[in-house]
Amino acid sequence: MRQSRRAGSRILIGLVFLFLYAPIALLIIFSFNEGDSSAVWRGFSLHWYQSMFRNRLIIESVYITLLVSLLATLISTLAGTFAAIGLYSLPRRRRDALLTVNNIPMMNADIVTGVSLCLFFVAFFQFWGGFARWFNGVQTAVVLPERLTLGFGTLLLAHVAFNIPYVILNVAPKLRQMDRNLMDAAQDLGCTWMQAFWKVMLPEIKPGIVSGALIAFTMSIDDFVISYFTAGSSTSTLAMTIYGMTKRRVTPEINAVSTILFLTVLVLLVIVNMGEIRQERRKRNPSAHSVPVGERLRRFFATRAGQYARWGLVAAGSVAFVVTVLFLTRETQSIPVVNVCSWGEYIDLDLIDRFEAETGIRVNYQTAESNETMYSLLKNGGADYDVIVPSDYMIAQLIEEGMLSELNYDNIPNFQLIDPRFKNLSYDPENKYTVPYTWSTLGIIYNAAMIDEPVTSWGALYDERNAGKVLLINNSRDAIGEALMYLGYSINTTDEAEIRAAYAVLDKASKQGVFQGKVMDEVFQTMEGGNAAIASYYAGDYLSMLENNEDLRYVIPEEGANWFVDAMCILKDAPHMAEAEAWINFIASTEANLANMDYLRYGSPNMEALEQYPAYYEELYGEPLDPEIYDIIVTPPEVLEHCQMYENTPPETRALYNRLWIQLGI
Amino acid sequence: MNRKLSLLALPYAVWLFLLVVIPILIMAVYAFTTSDSAATLENFTDMGIYASVFVRSFRLAAIATLICLLIGYPAAYFMAGEGSGFQRVALALIMLPMWMNFLLRTYSWMSILENNGLLNQLFQKIGLFSLLKIEAFQMLRTPGAVTLGMVYNYLPFMILPIYSVILKLDRQLLEAARDLGANSAQVFLRVILPLSLPGVLSGVTMVFVPSVSTFAISRLLGGGTQMMLGDLIEQQFLGGAYNPHLGAAISMVMMVIVVLCMALMNHFGEGEEQAVML
Repeated sequence: MRQSRRAGSRILIGLVFLFLYAPIALLIIFSFNEGDSSAVWRGFSLHWYQSMFRNRLIIESVYITLLVSLLATLISTLAGTFAAIGLYSLPRRRRDALLTVNNIPMMNADIVTGVSLCLFFVAFFQFWGGFARWFNGVQTAVVLPERLTLGFGTLLLAHVAFNIPYVILNVAPKLRQMDRNLMDAAQDLGCTWMQAFWKVMLPEIKPGIVSGALIAFTMSIDDFVISYFTAGSSTSTLAMTIYGMTKRRVTPEINAVSTILFLTVLVLLVIVNMGEIRQERRKRNPSAHSVPVGERLRRFFATRAGQYARWGLVAAGSVAFVVTVLFLTRETQSIPVVNVCSWGEYIDLDLIDRFEAETGIRVNYQTAESNETMYSLLKNGGADYDVIVPSDYMIAQLIEEGMLSELNYDNIPNFQLIDPRFKNLSYDPENKYTVPYTWSTLGIIYNAAMIDEPVTSWGALYDERNAGKVLLINNSRDAIGEALMYLGYSINTTDEAEIRAAYAVLDKASKQGVFQGKVMDEVFQTMEGGNAAIASYYAGDYLSMLENNEDLRYVIPEEGANWFVDAMCILKDAPHMAEAEAWINFIASTEANLANMDYLRYGSPNMEALEQYPAYYEELYGEPLDPEIYDIIVTPPEVLEHCQMYENTPPETRALYNRLWIQLGI
Repeated sequence: MNRKLSLLALPYAVWLFLLVVIPILIMAVYAFTTSDSAATLENFTDMGIYASVFVRSFRLAAIATLICLLIGYPAAYFMAGEGSGFQRVALALIMLPMWMNFLLRTYSWMSILENNGLLNQLFQKIGLFSLLKIEAFQMLRTPGAVTLGMVYNYLPFMILPIYSVILKLDRQLLEAARDLGANSAQVFLRVILPLSLPGVLSGVTMVFVPSVSTFAISRLLGGGTQMMLGDLIEQQFLGGAYNPHLGAAISMVMMVIVVLCMALMNHFGEGEEQAVML
């Protein structure tokens, strides 16, 4: 009976671990995948482990993550320990009051902490801006920066803020256990206060400090939500980079980085545990299983392995210090910089290296999820960009709100290479603000193996016969726009009745269970894996999906489609104007357009690149480019005639879109 | 102790005021104003249309917490009864997943739950679908998937506090109970369970609060069809519908409800010291 109960308990624990580790095992396995899908296995390869070192976005975010976690741990451990000592010398009532406030960040949902800190920083920046302007006005000896933005500093402050409570929570019980007279006794015996602290108090509370520091570090590494709201645009932790990617497709380079981090921790844990087990065997302590963790840690730090670990902690501290100094020197170095914001996976990263080598200008390349996200970042002061790459309708809105700077085309000679078809478009009629980056269409992608007859109309997205197989695009402008086209209305209509009619189409289909989900870049994985049959997405992205699933087809429906241009603009008051112009000129060159066209599979606005691409492709891959594919990358003019471009709509229409969209969501 | 030492609390009190109290006050100010900084209650009165989001969030989080408790309690209890070597390894194994980013682990579930995912392929192999005459189980983008994601991510937060409380139980108490004639069911129900309540409470808090406010899990596993409070708030700050005032108001309401829930719950565990995580 006893035996079977033990077996039963082990089975349960085993199942819990299976549950916890099955997805992790999958992640590790797919870090060795030859292909770039996390669903389709294409053979064993180590190349993601090589290419991850060349992926600057990943390496920088790993670096930021480690740096912020180490620094935050160091600072919060020090501050938290002293705060705990201070708290325990306060009268009980005041201590309890402070401890209640101390518990707030732990009780609150992360998102509330993140949001409130974000609002606090932004409010402080506004206050600071006013103060700095006044201060710079009344004296000239010291010049204060007038514009502060969210970044590494705010990220670090936020991490320290949520870590300190954990340190206090771990140190406090040790202080409570300690005999209060010990310190006095030591001082009576001739110790100075410092000596008493080092020799008496510190050894008593050390286990609490160590476990507090460990928890703080783990929390920092694992945090996503608070970082997401406080890091702004120019700083990205690993978690934020991954979040950006989960929407499209997580590159297996991330799997590789995570596997390495994971294995490092695993090895460290094994070493620590081996040392501990050996130590315990030596002591032959039979009652070990009831020893609390803190006591075990204390014992552990008295062992040989513990000595190493202690040195390890010291080493980690020194590394953190050196890294900080390096970081600060790097940041303050006076090399020219340009801050660029674009979409995820929307540039051939080699171009950045080439530009840096040619000009000596450092590129801070950031990504945003969508036009709307970027707009929010710009609005709440979280962004520090020079160059942005919004889409047509958003450009019109930014121009209307006076947020863009007029360009000096004398400094951007490559603008002449832009095909006149892509100049003076509705969003920028006199072409004063923009240089086109790419263009493409929004059409229907379907899986020919799952759908019996070819799709020709937007109606297929709303057809009850396709119930559960359709993916709706997850942004209001595109989703409602498609329904408007289906009904034969203009996608720029401001007529409330027409927009409501389009909403009714979506609502009906939604109630009939036609939509499997609402997706943006998740569409890649879902369509490639044959998990849904119909979706609407961008032509260039269809070609990337085709590489992983040959059954996919792209069609511009008979009702017509949307075509769009993404263009580079410079924000008003951009701090690095000359560098921004150099960047735009470089990206507008024929060479850069060819590289981007090949990487992104979006159409280029550069005349020479459009012409040369088939030859470029043949030279690169040793086979001619399929003309059908060329027609999808570069939509022929006669098809483009059927397509409409989004225009900026009045605020009331935008508000209506937002309202209807949320109604559809809930 | 020493009066000089109590001065150490002063900087921390200032810090708490600056980075905990003031941000929440600013959030409150945002919640009660419009973008033209006029005072208003509209942000709260308009919230009625989101009632279904509130209900969904609290329902899914409650279910996830319950499942975590049902799995986590026995697991913690059995773990505490094992040998010290086993315990040490098990403890490390429970902490370890936190070192692989939770977004990545959640993403991994997507490829397991997809219609053509590993689970459905498995069901197909064993002939389940031809038996039931269906093509696949729709698992991803359902409330179930979101709940699973919550259980998966927060289960360790349930196991750890319960385990550490059970571990610290005085074994002599159990012997005493047995000596006084209690059978094992009685020992468990009348001694172990009440004494482990603080661990349970702190576990419930640590699972429920992040569950009810998540936006990444519902976004990945719910596929935009299972909007939660976190999604709604995120949308107002960094998403498609920029309106920090409404976002602040929703955050406030969520915060108040959560604090009330926790206060109510902690009322039952009155007088207990808050269980420490490790």
